[in-house]
Amino acid sequence: MQFTWKIGGEAGFGIMTTGLLFAKIAARRGYKTFDFVEYPSLIRGGHNAYDVTVGEDDVTTLKKKIDVLICLNKETFELHSYSLSKDAVILYDRDVFTLPEGIQGVHIPYTQILKEMNGLVIMKNMIALGASLALLDAELTELHDILQQQFGKKGGEIVEQNQKFAQRGYDIIKELYPHLIRPLLKKREVVVKQMVLTGNEAFSYAAVGADCRFYAAYPMTPSSGVLTALAGWSTKTGMVVRHSEDEIAVINSALGASFTGVRSAVGTSGGGFALMVEAISMAGVIEQPIVVFLSQRPGPATGMPTWTEQGDLLFTVHSGHGEFQKIVLAPGDHFEMITMTLKAFDLADIYQMPVIVMSDMLLSESHKSISSDDVDKQITQYKPNRGKLIDSGDGTYKRYEITHDGVSPRLIPGAKGAYYQANSYEHLEDSHTTESAEERIKQVDKRARKWKTYLENDFALPEIIGDTTKAKTILIGWGSTLGVAKEAVKQAGGQLAYVHFSSVYPLHKTKINSLLSSLLDKLILIENNSTAQFGQLLQMETGISIGRKLLRYDGRAITVEQIMQFVGNTN
Amino acid sequence: MATPQDFTGYKPTWCPGCGNWGIGMAIKMAWSEMGLTPSDVLVAFGIGCSGNMNDFINAYAFHGLHGRAVATAVGMKLAHHTMPVCAVVGDGDCYGEGGNHFMHAARGNHDIKVLVHDNNVYGLTTGQVAPTAEKGQKSKSTPQGIIEVPIDPLSLAITQGATFVAQTFAGDTKHMVETIKQAFQHKGFALVNVLQPCVTFNKKNTYQYYMKQVYRLGSDYDPANKMQALETALQVHDERFPLGVMYKVERPTYHEQSLANPSLSLIKQSRFTNLSVLAQEFE
Repeated sequence: MQFTWKIGGEAGFGIMTTGLLFAKIAARRGYKTFDFVEYPSLIRGGHNAYDVTVGEDDVTTLKKKIDVLICLNKETFELHSYSLSKDAVILYDRDVFTLPEGIQGVHIPYTQILKEMNGLVIMKNMIALGASLALLDAELTELHDILQQQFGKKGGEIVEQNQKFAQRGYDIIKELYPHLIRPLLKKREVVVKQMVLTGNEAFSYAAVGADCRFYAAYPMTPSSGVLTALAGWSTKTGMVVRHSEDEIAVINSALGASFTGVRSAVGTSGGGFALMVEAISMAGVIEQPIVVFLSQRPGPATGMPTWTEQGDLLFTVHSGHGEFQKIVLAPGDHFEMITMTLKAFDLADIYQMPVIVMSDMLLSESHKSISSDDVDKQITQYKPNRGKLIDSGDGTYKRYEITHDGVSPRLIPGAKGAYYQANSYEHLEDSHTTESAEERIKQVDKRARKWKTYLENDFALPEIIGDTTKAKTILIGWGSTLGVAKEAVKQAGGQLAYVHFSSVYPLHKTKINSLLSSLLDKLILIENNSTAQFGQLLQMETGISIGRKLLRYDGRAITVEQIMQFVGNTN
Repeated sequence: MATPQDFTGYKPTWCPGCGNWGIGMAIKMAWSEMGLTPSDVLVAFGIGCSGNMNDFINAYAFHGLHGRAVATAVGMKLAHHTMPVCAVVGDGDCYGEGGNHFMHAARGNHDIKVLVHDNNVYGLTTGQVAPTAEKGQKSKSTPQGIIEVPIDPLSLAITQGATFVAQTFAGDTKHMVETIKQAFQHKGFALVNVLQPCVTFNKKNTYQYYMKQVYRLGSDYDPANKMQALETALQVHDERFPLGVMYKVERPTYHEQSLANPSLSLIKQSRFTNLSVLAQEFE
């Protein structure tokens, strides 16, 4: 059983904070949550809406039909009433607008309450939250605890103030609308401790877990959350977190840091990544580990900054001039963002090349609840694998030594008795510049062997969701479509399966062919872009061509309903 | 103690008579006199005739991208602040392609030494005008003469927050050695602009030209006087080139203010593992 709670109102009035509070309260009462926020690229004056879907089992995507809609203004009802479930309840202020006939409304006299209790406009959120919790049969305990934890230090007055308004909303429901109360948030018997975090926060948390010590970025939606999180933690973690003057400085300084032997990362979105690609190419030839977090939004150029798209896959895969090696990963959800980020730092060190972790607005800014124990286990079991990093050498040390697996020992600068260059020119084994035809071939071939080694040792085949032998239709996709695909597989009861690619480049041709060759007739590609970029990549790398494609490119995420309809129509 | 010979790498490919020979020698002498070895210095090289020094000088070096050496040096210093860090760059490299990094590194007082080879031209791409070229200078890319007035790196550095701004001349090795040493001894962002003749592509700014136009700052010159430093720097527009430390003040460096644990370089610090304190905000 799942339900969706939604709050909407004018931007700049606390919608996002309130939505997150609701999700955390649900998680603390033992439920699973997934949320997503819709907001325009503005700070004030636009419309914000925050959806939280709550369920007893894992929630991987939003349930589109709204069960409780909190309207802090009239616009919220106008924009979102098209998607109400049959028994939806609307919390609204009758003094501001009226509801059409046949819709179950709950009158919350926000303005009147604010006047009576002498409250700021932002307190509307607390009234609404208190009323919501009452309506769903929850107490205010968790809300009180969270407020205490968040504002406790700033003084009890703020906490009390918030609690007072929440209580007022709560009482209205208990007194006037007891018949509408449904036990959807009744505290569960077993409550597993959970973290409610975004994809950006998951990357940040895992970057700390992976012992990343240098992070540089220039703010760009939807990747900025990583900079915010890591900067906020830096006095505790000791990580150098720098907001540089531009993305070119970001990556060049991070590569300078990486040169000194510390794990380094950068984060950006498509436009910023475009500025970085010359240095991506450099990281390839100087064989410098670097992790790049790339959160996509709809382009081209400035595009639609606060919406979602998977439109940068081919650009990422092909980023950088010249021929060089990189690894591209695309975690599908928040938990995989943690496991893959940990892995990304290892891969960058082992193969001494750029590793790009792709996200998008949907994954970067949606919150999901995940088990704290599962995360702890990942982090505590993790031992950084620094590959062939060494801390002593002598006059015979060769930075670009020809080796069987393509990887050369990398000396931490500062070691006495040695020196070398990270050289962006083609170079000799001893790292000096060369234009020799013979040496060029040796180095090109050496670097190319690193990919071969990666594909044999570390390439991960796609994860299969559902049973491909029984399913009539098999969806195939990459990255953040995992969540919606999982829900579709669940709802289809065995009729559907999903092939989830998260190691997206390079691809292992023979392994993928043997996995997919018997399933080709059943495949439908799903992607959040207009040109089926993963389909193109798969064809280019493996020869597999998929005819049926569900593509969405309006800035919104693919929905379960859309998948079901598409599958129904094509079968 | 390391000698200049210990810092000597491959045989340079510079034109005979190029100012780079003298600059390269001065850098090696300065490091040697400072008691450093090739294992003790981090250098970021730009791209150009100056950047080609990467193969001729022994050090832990990063021969990166055109225009980006200053950004790379900033990262090196933050990650390994216990080693001296310098950027060896050209005028087009640092003031043109990388102008943004130059400005912001000065603002941040990043503790890096920026040694700029200022020869008014792009030597490696056969002589097009650099941002420091005099208005009207003709070149392959500006056959009618360059329209822009030259950038003035010294006053730019002073106004953008650099805490050490000096100028020296490729024809005066002793002065170069002294100036470079002072830059390394300074704690904070140091610019050393080296006036350098390009014997192949610049027929105006020759050794003879500079011999006539340069002069040394007197012993009574006060480098802490910002307005005087600016006035001195601006003399470039009258083709007068003061040599010496034009501006020098003390201000906390970027890494001193940003590192959570300034006693150890990042690589030497122990791994942070107490993630549970971070997890609280997600519960």
